[in-house]
Amino acid sequence: MTDQMIDQTPDAPDFNMNSEVASGPSLSYWQLVRKRFQGNRTGMIGMIICCVIVFTAMFAPFLAPYTPATKDRTAIYTPPQLVRFISEDGGLTRPFVLGFAEEMNPVTYEITFKPSHEQRVDLGLFVQGEDYKFLGMTFSTHLFGGVDGAPVHFLGTDGLGRDVFSRMLYGSRITLLMGLIVMGAACVIGTFVGVTSGYMGGRTDTIIQRVIEFVKSFPDLPLYLALVAVLPRRADPMLTFIMFAAIVVVLKWADLARELRGKVIAIRSVEFVRAAVAVGANDRRIIGRHIIPNMSSHIIVWATYVLPEVILLESFLSFLGVGIQQPMVSWGVMLNAVRDFQSLASAPWLLAPVGMIILSVLAFNALGDGLRDAMDPYAND
Amino acid sequence: MQMTDPLLSVENAKISFRTVVGQVDAVKNVSYEVRRGETLAVVGESGSGKSVTARAVMGMLAPNAIVGEDTKIMFDGEDLSEWPELKLQDIRGRRIAMIFQEPLTSLNPVYKIGDQVGEIITAHRKISKADLRKEVVRLLDEVQLPDPETRFSQYPHEMSGGQRQRVMIAMALANNPDLLIADEPTTALDVTVQAEILSLLKDLQKKHGMAVVLITHDLTVVSKVSDTVVVMRQGEVVERGNTQEVFENPQHPYTKHLINSEPKGHPDPLPENAEPVLSGSHMSISFMLKAGGFFNPKLTELKAVNDISATIHKGETLGIVGESGSGKTTLAMAMIKLGNYQKGEITFQGNRIDQLSRKDMQPYRTRMQVVFQDPFSSLNPRMIIRQILEEGLIVNNIGGSAEARDALVRQALDDVHMPHSALDRFPHEFSGGQRQRLAIARAIVLSPEFILLDEPTSALDLSIQAQIIDLLRELRRKRDLSYLFISHDLKVVRALCHNVIVMQRGQVVEMGPTEQVLTDPKTAYTRRLVDAAFNVVA
Repeated sequence: MTDQMIDQTPDAPDFNMNSEVASGPSLSYWQLVRKRFQGNRTGMIGMIICCVIVFTAMFAPFLAPYTPATKDRTAIYTPPQLVRFISEDGGLTRPFVLGFAEEMNPVTYEITFKPSHEQRVDLGLFVQGEDYKFLGMTFSTHLFGGVDGAPVHFLGTDGLGRDVFSRMLYGSRITLLMGLIVMGAACVIGTFVGVTSGYMGGRTDTIIQRVIEFVKSFPDLPLYLALVAVLPRRADPMLTFIMFAAIVVVLKWADLARELRGKVIAIRSVEFVRAAVAVGANDRRIIGRHIIPNMSSHIIVWATYVLPEVILLESFLSFLGVGIQQPMVSWGVMLNAVRDFQSLASAPWLLAPVGMIILSVLAFNALGDGLRDAMDPYAND
Repeated sequence: MQMTDPLLSVENAKISFRTVVGQVDAVKNVSYEVRRGETLAVVGESGSGKSVTARAVMGMLAPNAIVGEDTKIMFDGEDLSEWPELKLQDIRGRRIAMIFQEPLTSLNPVYKIGDQVGEIITAHRKISKADLRKEVVRLLDEVQLPDPETRFSQYPHEMSGGQRQRVMIAMALANNPDLLIADEPTTALDVTVQAEILSLLKDLQKKHGMAVVLITHDLTVVSKVSDTVVVMRQGEVVERGNTQEVFENPQHPYTKHLINSEPKGHPDPLPENAEPVLSGSHMSISFMLKAGGFFNPKLTELKAVNDISATIHKGETLGIVGESGSGKTTLAMAMIKLGNYQKGEITFQGNRIDQLSRKDMQPYRTRMQVVFQDPFSSLNPRMIIRQILEEGLIVNNIGGSAEARDALVRQALDDVHMPHSALDRFPHEFSGGQRQRLAIARAIVLSPEFILLDEPTSALDLSIQAQIIDLLRELRRKRDLSYLFISHDLKVVRALCHNVIVMQRGQVVEMGPTEQVLTDPKTAYTRRLVDAAFNVVA
């Protein structure tokens, strides 16, 4: 009889493994991921910028001095105004901007703007301005603006005298909303289809895979152009927005579905899933408790990569005039105003949304990279 | 053996790793040395730091490793720990060679064998193409690969695990190294192949006069092959000395524990006239393999299980042994309806179950359970232990209330000798042996009458194997279980099984009471398995 209990003399050191159960705080997978992510500088910076961008989009009406449609007829194509802290006589004062004195070139009749110290506009915090609606309530306080309603255009104005800075903040709402809708819908559809395909196998799998191949082989640009052709000329911009988002979703879910199908097939044959079958778990439980939780990191990383793709796609198509339609404002729509060289040369500040696009794409990619590294189960640091 | 200066001496090695949860000390103050013509065995369980120390010698540590300041690695009179990477590159593969554990992944699948062995040679010396080929063939011949000329232009997937390990050895020998580090060279191989590889290593060492550092957790290997031994535990050396002396008179309690942890003992006597629990008769399972091209498809039938009958009685442990690919897992999984099933009759406690659908099997699931081979993949990493153990109770509506389930789960933990503090932890916080206990707890919490054990010990260190076997025996007695035990290790089978079935290529080559089969094997195949298990190196 060599029972381990009898085997050990009382004073012998216990080499049984039971004595070595880890003590101290227990870290779950997600806690480990957070720890690892916090050590990743690029990822953290990306995440902070992403948060700022999302925050800006949410509170755009409060942060922007004007609404996107407000036209300042006295300021057509005015250049950006510098925020100054030093007054004419050299002393430090409250922040202010300078208005412009218009000069006309007598030969070309071109109007040029010169900052003029006679038209000083003081900046104030929490100034009263135009009414806007937020969460169903009407407010009129804006984070900053010219005191007593004096005009301030940090990033200049466009050809109709609309404030570029305000429009850019409002534009981030539509652009990000588009990204999030597409991301969310594509994740849900992709996960559902991918899991079904991988888990069912057999004929279902074959059919779904052929559908995915068809979707992936579809030329996407003609589809967007067709949308413009199909919709009536005076269609509701909201309808165009939804149709546009729907088409992007239709084209994007296939990638995720295919990736997840492969993962499901791999996880399905791992022993913990077979053990669940052995205790009698049904398909729903196996998918919901065993398969999807083990793919969640993959889905999250995919989502953070698809968002910048949609931002780029939106701005590209709206720039061409096939995406989001006026009077909705998005970064792409704003860029649509500079599609001819003349306006580009005379008002380069209209390219400001490009900066935001680059910044947000880089930030979301950095966030995605950071998450991917942090969720890598084989990371050994 | 003449007394010379040591070829390699590791002095005061201290290695730690930066991790998210802080610094982990893997090796604390380890020293050992090995002379030319000598074999040093470094023994210890996984996580004892034995491989990490060897990798430090090769300068092949992971980037998050921190090597202590006092660490000195003296090789032939020079301190390697101060050498730059480029200088180390020159010495690796030329003067120090290494063999890894996993022959299936340590060869590059897209290059031919000849090219891979040749690369080691051309990396260190200039040689003409014709001579290179001759040299490679000579090496392949030296490691006793049959038909080395043909092997030269074969790809790794065309060879078996043992043959690949021979190729790895040929690569290690390519430049006549002074020192060979073998990191668990036989662990991933079948027992019969293990013996052949070990005797090959021993012959080659004699012939070339190399120093060999053999890293292993298997003490039988140590006693047969090595001159001196170092026993490591938790990053420290607990005992060192001449192999024979250490084995005859171990000083440290841990060494004694290791030496005593060979699976031993015999199964409890079988009750007479026990009724059958699970029986299968004339079971056959085959897979259709596709061969030929798209326009000329050919289907060949692979008979994984060919007309086999087996019965497990109440209280009995039936062993199925055989090399990998012999169909033992396919057969067993089919018997509990977890795998493909085709022909034959399966009866569980008097009820025919072979034709039942997955849904109809539901009532039987609590009565037949399974423990898998790999404890690292058999527990869902996203669930805490409580959720893992409770799952079967929830899906089968056992226990009713949360309190009742909690009591059952705690009882199961007690039975596998795990503390209740394990309940709120995640699987990755446990060692391999602990996870295997938890996997067993998941099976017994449902109070089954039959458990299929699919090589439950083969992924574990030897000393832990013995504990798991003791545990299984104890549980069988306490809960009146019947086991179907799959293994390729006859030592474990002898300690646990009443009867045994020996399988080869889907067929039964021998069956009967364990003692009878092991002491008086009727077929050459069984004899080979027995020799491999009980007489490691001739």
